[in-house]
Amino acid sequence: MDAVEKANAEKQRRWVKDQKVGEGTYAVVYRGREAATGRRVAIKKIKVGQFKDGLDMSAIREVKYLRELHHQNVIELLDVFSSKTNLNLVLEFLDSDLEMIIKDRSLVFLPADIKSWMAMTFRGLEFCHRNFILHRDLKPNNLLVASDGQLKLADFGLARDFADPGYKMTSQVITRWYRPPELLFGCRYYSSTVDIWSVGCIFAELMLRTPYLPGETDMDQLRTIFRALGTPTEEDWPGHTKLPDYVPVGQFPKTPLRDLFTAASGDALNLLSRCLVYEPGRRITALEALHHPYFTGLPYPTHPSKLPRPASRTPRPLEEVDGNVDMANTGPGVKAAAPNRLKRKLSSPMEGLRPLARRLDFTQHKGS
Amino acid sequence: MSNVGGWLVGKTVRRGGVNPAGAHSSRSNTPQVQSTSTTVFGGGVKDASGRTTEFFSMDDQCPVCRSDRYLNPKLRLLVSSCYHKMCESCIDRLFTLGPAPCPICQKVLRKLAFMPQTFEDLTVEKEVAVRRRIAKEFNKRREDFPDLRSYNDYLEEVEVITFNLINEINIPETEARIEAYRKENAALIELNVRREEQYTQELKQQEEQERLEREQRAQEARRLEELEREEKEKGRREIIDRLETSTKDATEIIAKSRAEATKRAASRAVATTTFKSSAQLLRSRAAQSTTIPDVPHVPLQDDWYAYEDMYTKLDRYDDMYSEAVRQDQEGIMKAGGYKVEEAWERALRSAVTALFLPPLSDPENSLTFPPENDAALAQL
Repeated sequence: MDAVEKANAEKQRRWVKDQKVGEGTYAVVYRGREAATGRRVAIKKIKVGQFKDGLDMSAIREVKYLRELHHQNVIELLDVFSSKTNLNLVLEFLDSDLEMIIKDRSLVFLPADIKSWMAMTFRGLEFCHRNFILHRDLKPNNLLVASDGQLKLADFGLARDFADPGYKMTSQVITRWYRPPELLFGCRYYSSTVDIWSVGCIFAELMLRTPYLPGETDMDQLRTIFRALGTPTEEDWPGHTKLPDYVPVGQFPKTPLRDLFTAASGDALNLLSRCLVYEPGRRITALEALHHPYFTGLPYPTHPSKLPRPASRTPRPLEEVDGNVDMANTGPGVKAAAPNRLKRKLSSPMEGLRPLARRLDFTQHKGS
Repeated sequence: MSNVGGWLVGKTVRRGGVNPAGAHSSRSNTPQVQSTSTTVFGGGVKDASGRTTEFFSMDDQCPVCRSDRYLNPKLRLLVSSCYHKMCESCIDRLFTLGPAPCPICQKVLRKLAFMPQTFEDLTVEKEVAVRRRIAKEFNKRREDFPDLRSYNDYLEEVEVITFNLINEINIPETEARIEAYRKENAALIELNVRREEQYTQELKQQEEQERLEREQRAQEARRLEELEREEKEKGRREIIDRLETSTKDATEIIAKSRAEATKRAASRAVATTTFKSSAQLLRSRAAQSTTIPDVPHVPLQDDWYAYEDMYTKLDRYDDMYSEAVRQDQEGIMKAGGYKVEEAWERALRSAVTALFLPPLSDPENSLTFPPENDAALAQL
């Protein structure tokens, strides 16, 4: 047994797998605990060997980014070890997500609660962006809530680092309802502003308690966006007609946000409108958003420990751990992929490989 | 006086004098309660609905003119500020021409200072009035005191003052004490008055909300009942229809329909039990909100931006890597939001990151620097 194997065996002994809580195409999720302390964790076992090219892309991405990101509002990857041919990710155990909370009609949200969640989301996102990482799959379902109320970004299966100048990225990312128009138009060069659009949609969803822009197909998504926010003109968004998949989808008038968000404060609507700006370059950045008067004004954001949480601990945890675990309540067409395909598989397999090849070398592992 | 206690907890109690002799059988000595609003006379004790309940008995007699209810059925006795009773006609007779001495104790009285009587016993009447007056100003709460001891001392003092006023001991000195207290605590008194007002207002709102909820629930219940009845009726008809048309065994059909009906009823029951009004939920939220205070927003909770960058970023760089962006004639990259500045920023930051960190010297955490980092340092 060489040193690597010994280290791995030691790591493996540190964690205990308990019952299975979910299964997806590329991973099985177990509830687990740390043997020494009894701390609850989630263990995500990635099936290797099912894919011709080795490990699934999203597993690589998840490990690659979570290994380096340590922040209060980002899920923590505690350990990685291998068992037989499988790769195991040990993640922080988080028992609810924002989607569950939004859907639980027995919970009442105060404006201060929404402010608190938004502040935590922006903090987590700002941390990713300052480290030059795009999340690319923000949605309430991927914002997990710890038992102390802290919100954490999870599911880095679609994340990637900022592209170097001239390198293409895929436009097939982000769950449709939260996908910005530039991606729907097939744009291959984008930046952190795609995440901001998603956060804007989540913000609106928190206020409405129902998805803000629920398009049924990609085309319908554009129509839904334009119906809500008005069709962009060349002035609103210079150059958008030149984007690869641009198609005119009809003219819709601009309606003030106030018409729909009747109870929201002026500052809240201002922040929302700045997240949902058509021209990506003019969208607010996460750092700017954190200094927005919405957050500094009254009421103060609710202390995380007092935020509403679903009362019933229904065993539906660890979705974090895998967006691919097929949850019955995520309707078809919600995910970025076609209904019966899993969204992660959709991101073009070549994309992102270049930096990976440099840093993660799995050949050694295979050979040993 | 047993019914006074009942009154104090807010119930409407019929009260009045129980005739001590108890032998006047010729006329009813049943105590009666008569409600009037306090328009002319003020004073008296208001009940929950804001009305003054006036004490009234068949045995009333004016101590001044000796007329009683037998002679004057409209007899109404009022209480003076010195707590002596007299009838309205006596008051008119004595005080219409201005202040005059009380026929019983000689204290100078005015016509407007008479109030309706609420309690049979006038000492109770007086005590209530005194306590009400005192409570207006001596309204400090436990929170206003640093410890229980000082709060108890305060309560003790209030009780002494009240006792003095009721029993007319040392009146000038007691009044002086009240005055001194009033001066000393003017701001706090004002604050507590406002707090009290706010509290009553909240209470009122809560009651209103609860009433609405009750109504809503009742309506819901009626609706459900109606639905259930309809469904039962439908079920019965269905059974009959099926029995008519089907060739199956009758008991089987009936059992099947019954099972279906119970299933439906059960699902309905579940739906109603989960119903919880939003007002109730909001209230439970509000109750919780005092335990941990909310703190003002802090944009970032780490000190990432507290460090000064030891480099200056230029507006543009002519590097070969961003050639592609420069060649983007149609502005596709710009329209998609690609920011070449971010790439420059990243390149610069990764080039200079941790350059000035001293190597770790702690042997226990021996973390060796990769050689290329040393080389970079040497180049500086």
